[in-house]
Order: sequence, then structure tokens, then C-alpha cells
Amino acid sequence: MAGHKNRLRFRKEGRGVYISHLDSMALFQRAFLRAGIAIWQTRGFNQHSFVSIPLPLSVGYSSQCELLEFTLESDTPLNEVPAQLNATLPEGIVVERCYEAETPVKRIAAIDWSVQLEYDGGTPEGVRPALEDFFARESCVIQKPSKKSKKGYTELDLIPMVYQWDAAEEENGVNLHLRLMAQNPGLNPAVLVGALFDGRPELTPDFVRCHRNEIYGADGGIFR
Amino acid sequence: MNPKLERILPRVQKPARYTGGEYREIQKDKAEVDTRFAFCFPDTYEIGMSNLGMRILYGVINEMDGVWCERCFAPWGDMEEELRRAELPLFALESGDPIRDFDLVAFSLGYEMAYTNVLNMLDLAGIPLYAAQRDEDWPIVCAGGTCAYHAEPLADFIDLFFLGEGEELDPEVIECYRACKKQGKSKTEFLEEAVKIPGVYVPAFYQVAYNEDGTLRSMTPTHGAPARVTKRIIKDLDSAYYPTHTIVPSTEIVHDRVMLELFRGCIRGCRFCQAGYCYRPVRAKTSETLVRQGIEACIDSGYQEMTLTSLSSSDYRPLTCLLDGLLDYCEPRNINISLPSLRADGFSMGIMQRLQKARKSSMTFAPEAGTQRLRDAINKNVTEDDLLQSCRTVFQGGCSAVKLYFMLGLPTETDEDVEGIAALADKVFQSWRTYTPNRSKGVRITISTSFFVPKPFTPFQWEKQISMEEYRRRVNLLRSCIHNRSIVYNWHDGDASYVEAALARGDRRMSRVLEEVWRSGGRLDSWSEYFDFQRWMDAFQKAGLDPDFYACRERPRCELLPWSVSDVGVRQDYLWQEREQAYRGVITPDCRVKCMGCGATRLIPGEKCDADRG
Repeated sequence: MAGHKNRLRFRKEGRGVYISHLDSMALFQRAFLRAGIAIWQTRGFNQHSFVSIPLPLSVGYSSQCELLEFTLESDTPLNEVPAQLNATLPEGIVVERCYEAETPVKRIAAIDWSVQLEYDGGTPEGVRPALEDFFARESCVIQKPSKKSKKGYTELDLIPMVYQWDAAEEENGVNLHLRLMAQNPGLNPAVLVGALFDGRPELTPDFVRCHRNEIYGADGGIFR
Repeated sequence: MNPKLERILPRVQKPARYTGGEYREIQKDKAEVDTRFAFCFPDTYEIGMSNLGMRILYGVINEMDGVWCERCFAPWGDMEEELRRAELPLFALESGDPIRDFDLVAFSLGYEMAYTNVLNMLDLAGIPLYAAQRDEDWPIVCAGGTCAYHAEPLADFIDLFFLGEGEELDPEVIECYRACKKQGKSKTEFLEEAVKIPGVYVPAFYQVAYNEDGTLRSMTPTHGAPARVTKRIIKDLDSAYYPTHTIVPSTEIVHDRVMLELFRGCIRGCRFCQAGYCYRPVRAKTSETLVRQGIEACIDSGYQEMTLTSLSSSDYRPLTCLLDGLLDYCEPRNINISLPSLRADGFSMGIMQRLQKARKSSMTFAPEAGTQRLRDAINKNVTEDDLLQSCRTVFQGGCSAVKLYFMLGLPTETDEDVEGIAALADKVFQSWRTYTPNRSKGVRITISTSFFVPKPFTPFQWEKQISMEEYRRRVNLLRSCIHNRSIVYNWHDGDASYVEAALARGDRRMSRVLEEVWRSGGRLDSWSEYFDFQRWMDAFQKAGLDPDFYACRERPRCELLPWSVSDVGVRQDYLWQEREQAYRGVITPDCRVKCMGCGATRLIPGEKCDADRG
């Protein structure tokens, strides 16, 4: 397989957040064709345009920093690709940049998240202390379902996967700002929130809204 | 987005089917819209969005200024539970607005087992079920589609049925509605106006009387309704609307590809096939139109797959020419063309091989019956030689799996015919042994049988369905005839087909059965995980009706049939004549060999059925 030379950065918001990872890839394959932008195709019996989204985003999460890899084959200037694609994309999927990939995806280290914990009846008092207690812990080992493991689950310590945290109280909830490990393994903020209030139903939020803000590389800089 | 919906969506399976927002979805400015039309499909998003008819009508209605047609599908069980818990009324995907606030709510009826979904969707929308319970404050509830020709079981729930093809009819009814609304007319006054439009059936305008034995005595039109309602058709398909710019779903659907309709109607006249009679006369598009539309649809959607749809695609006269035109465009772009509904003959096999770049590992044929005698009786003009020749071709090409579809319980079927299915499968197996280039790979021959359901507007509309016990006996008989481990037999348990048979030929008293089934939890009945046979039987009992009366009773020729108000073109006496030919075991030549005068040409005065347009 050819190495993928190009990258898109796009936003996923509004009604677009319910499009699954696999469906998002199919959507871009078609969008490239609709836009008349030729991209590298797989060989073999079932030839199809090849795109890859390296960091799967859970259904329902929004993002302003999604990446998609592909290889441009037509001579469309890179800076024209976003506008051409956006004309053929569904609501909520917006391409912001298209550029040559320089750093390989395996260098992605961390993801910055905004996680809103919504409490319909106002934020309960104990949330802040619970957060402080949790993040002060040495470790928090959870069991994660796994198909590969014989036991049916693997154990995962969440604490070393949290690089930064910060919380701001707002009217009907708490806005958590988190920087979490991105891959191998990545930490899904919903898993973290689940562990945060484990055994504390009175603190469990009514709704959790997750939004990806930024991706960081191993060098600590914004990953492009 | 509605905040309640936002909370629900992360908890349900495949939420993208409830959000809309797909590419080519039509949004309109509500300030410029005076008529809101909810196009409701009584099944899931994945099924509904695969329906070409829905896409056509969505486009046609949205071309009307001031009218906004939006979509609405049946929620899956998990979503229904959430909607009810959140007290969120059923909404349209485009605007997210509750459909109970729309002007017209229209259902597309493709199969009888979706009827309970119609009730469930009305209830989820907060709309009263019965037409008589809905005054001016409620939307007009309409229904069209194949089942609308004989949807008497839904008669008490639906204000207005559209009979036939909707491209012209639906806009006429909508315009009539707008005019009446502007003049402040009542619902009844609107229906009295609408019923003057050819193709409109208003069930409330017919007084129904029954004989003591439960059969229909009369259906008397009132309010100026016509004694018979003739279905509408599009005379010239070339100039008819075709959705080249159509919604591309953001989640995978059943037929996730460009659908190109070659022609409507069918020249074959298989005697069990409702579509084959209901969609007559035969009208084709020219290959030039199809090539243009197919290419445009590929460009606009970005699909890399196209399927040519029709009841029997290989009967399309300029098929070779069409494929040349499409392949010129598709081949260099890796767009695959698939051709379902091919006949098992040499011509079709040639076409098949041309389309296939990759070797196909599995082929499906539908001989429908096991012996030539029975195939003649049902007018399925496929001979054993055709089938074996086709099998030989595919086996020589390296194919190692063949599926064969049959029906059990066809009129005149004997044990010999049932045993003939096994014998035919054996011959297919022998063909594989003789012609496969690689015997070590083995072969898998799958026989599937379904339980024959007699349908209105076919020569078998007077027939009884065999009992479920008899059906099971025939299944077991066939099982006992299969001794080859390479031959696998799949059969349906007959429960759903029995209910379908009762619904297909039911009268309007059946409304009570439907309501009862729905009240006791029935919905999504075409899905085996939801269908509950006992629930249906209990509902029949509560309604005081006998399902056998509808499913397993042979009707005399003189009996007034509940669908007799609908005129689909083909005459009843032609159907009876075909029935008699079936009992004589005489085949009827296809329409190209000889026009038998079925009556469908009455719908295109001055024009030719199945005109050769090159």
C-alpha cells in the first residue's frame, strides 16, 4: 500500500456528529468523487478510493480537529480542496485545511477535550472535590472489555493517561478540560467520566457532551 | 436540534438514521412554505431510503413552490422506547418538526406486514388513529404504493389513497388541498374535491354491506365518489422526473447505490406475481435517457455502484446498447453495474459475464416450482434446460455456490412437484460435477422455499392458501427427499405468510385486527425478531374474525372482492381466464410474442403497450 501523502483537517459538528467512523470514511470517498478530485484507489477486484481516519471519534462526539489521510492524484491545488469538498459534504462536516502530511500519524500523542458534565438540577456540591480526589490518585485501574483477552477484558490504569485536567463550573454543569492519551491505547473521555463518578450516583451527570479541541504530537506541539 | 433528541441519540443503535442532514437533503425556508407534506415510510430508514419510488416522489413534490416534502421513518424498538419516554412526538428528518403539525401525512405501502407500523407511527406522532377521529385540526392522512390497491384493512385509518404512480397524482392532490385550505374548506369538502381527481380513493365515501356468510355484499359510493377508481400511470417515462440529484445517506442503507429503472411493467405474466400485473402496461425508457441519467446520478452521488432495476431486466430490448453506453463511462471509473432479476437463459448469462470483472462465487436462480408441469401452470417460462444450461455456464466459470428459490403451496401443486424440487437440485449438482474445473473445492446448492401467498390482481386472487399444517407437511416431504450433503434446504416457517395472506385479501373489518395487534405491542412485523404469531391470532379472535376466512378460502368467481373498487388496468375476466389456463397447465406467451388483451392498454389510449423505442 502506498504511503498517504495528504491530510485533511475537518470539523464534525451539529447533525454530523452521529455519523459513525466507518460511515465517515465512506462519506469522504464519495465526496471526493462528487467533487471530481481523483485520489489513490486500492487495487484488486473491488477497487475503491482509499481514505483513512486515524483517530476514530465516538458517535455523538463533536470535533474541530479531525484528520483524514489520502493521496491526491489529480492536480487540484491543495488550497482549493477544502472549498471543493465542502460543496459536496453533508451538514456538519466541514473541511478546513488540506496539506501535505509531514509527521506520521504514529507520532500523535495526546488529544485535548472539552467535556461538559450537564446536571439538569444544577451542579451538585461534591463534584469539584470528587474531581480533585480522583486526579490526585496514584492509579485507577479499570477493566476494559476486550475480545483478544481470554478473560474477556484487559486492565487499564487511567491516571497515567491523563496529562492535564482543569474544571470550570458553569450554570448547569461543569466544563472539564482534559488532555488525554491519544492512542495505543487511547483514553475515551466517557470511560474516564464513568470511572470518575463510579459509586457516586448523586454526582453522575445527566448528560456528557464531548468535544475534541486539538491533537498534540509527541513533541508537545500541535499535530498537523 | 431538539435537546431531548440530543440526549436520546447517543443511547440508540445507528443514530444517523434519525438525524437527517444528509447530502442533497432538501431544506426550505418555512416562511416561503404554505404546505407541509410528511412522506412516511412504515419501515426503517435503511429500507425506506432504498426505495426508488420514495426518492422520485420526494423530488417531484419538492419541485413544487411553497410545498415542503420531508421524510419520516419507523423508529427501531430502542428509539421508539426513548421517544415515548421523552414524550417526543414523531418528527420529520429535514426540519425536526412534529409531523402532527403537517398538512398531509402520507404513507408508502409496499408490503402488508408494514401495516402495524402505520398505526404505530400515527400514534408516535400523536395523531388519532381513525380517520373519523380526525377533524380539520389534524393532518390529512394518505397512503400510496403497491398495497394501496387493496389496503382495505387500513381503510378506517386512512383519509385518502393514491392509486398508481404518484408523479402526477400526488402534486394534483396537494394542489387541490392548497386550494381548499385557502378557501377555508372543511376536511369533508376537501375530500369531496379530491375524489374527483382520477386515481384518488377515499374509503370513507363507500358504504360497505356484508352478506350473512361474511362476504361482501356491496360497496356503494357516496359523496360523488366513483364506482371504480382507475390507477394512474406515467405515459412517457423518458420525460418523467428521475432523481439524478438525490439524497446520499450518511449511513449504510440496504441498496446503497444508484438505482436506474429501465421500464415499468412486465411482459411475462407469471401467474403468482402481483407486480407483474399491477404495473402494466409495459413502458420503457430509451437507452439514451438511461445512459444520461445513470451517468448524472453517478457523478452527483459519488456512488461506485449502480443497479439496473426492473421486474425482468433482461427483457429490456436495448439492453446491450444500454450496457455499452454505461460501461463506457463506468469501466474506467471502477463503477460496478449489477443486474438483478435476470432470467436463467443464455442471453442473460452472456450479459452477466460481461459485467463481471471478478468471478462471481455465488449465483441465484428462481425456478419457483420443481416440475415443468407446475412451472407451466404458474406461467413461469423457465425450462429445466434453460436452468441447467445457465448453471453449466456459471460452474464452468468457477462458481461454487448456487441458490435456488421456490414456492410451496402454489395452486395445483402435488407431492410430485415438491419432490421435483429435490430432483432439480440434484441435476444442478450433477451439472457442477460434470463441468466444474475444480471438484476439490466442493459446491453448495441452497434450496429456499417460501409459502405461497395468493395476492389480489393476480390470476390466483380467488385461490385459497394451503393450510399451515399442509405447508409443513410439504416442507417435511421435501426435506426427506434431500440426501446430498452439498444441498442445503432453508424454509420459512409459514406463520408470517399466513398472516400476510389474510391481510392481502382482507376487508375493512380487519382494521380492528390491526388496531388490536398494535395495541398489544405489534409493530415492525416484517422483522422476525418482532413478529409474534400468537399476538395476531389473539387479535383475530378479539375482533371476531377468522383468519382462515381470508387466507384459506377459495372465492367463487361471482364474489365481490374487497379490492374491486380499484382498477389496475388488467381486467378481472382476463385474470379469471388466466386462472383457468393455469388449471389446464397451458402457458400464455409473453406480451411480445402475442398481446393477449389483458386490458392494461386502456390506460394509455392511442399508444402502444411495450412500444419498441430502440
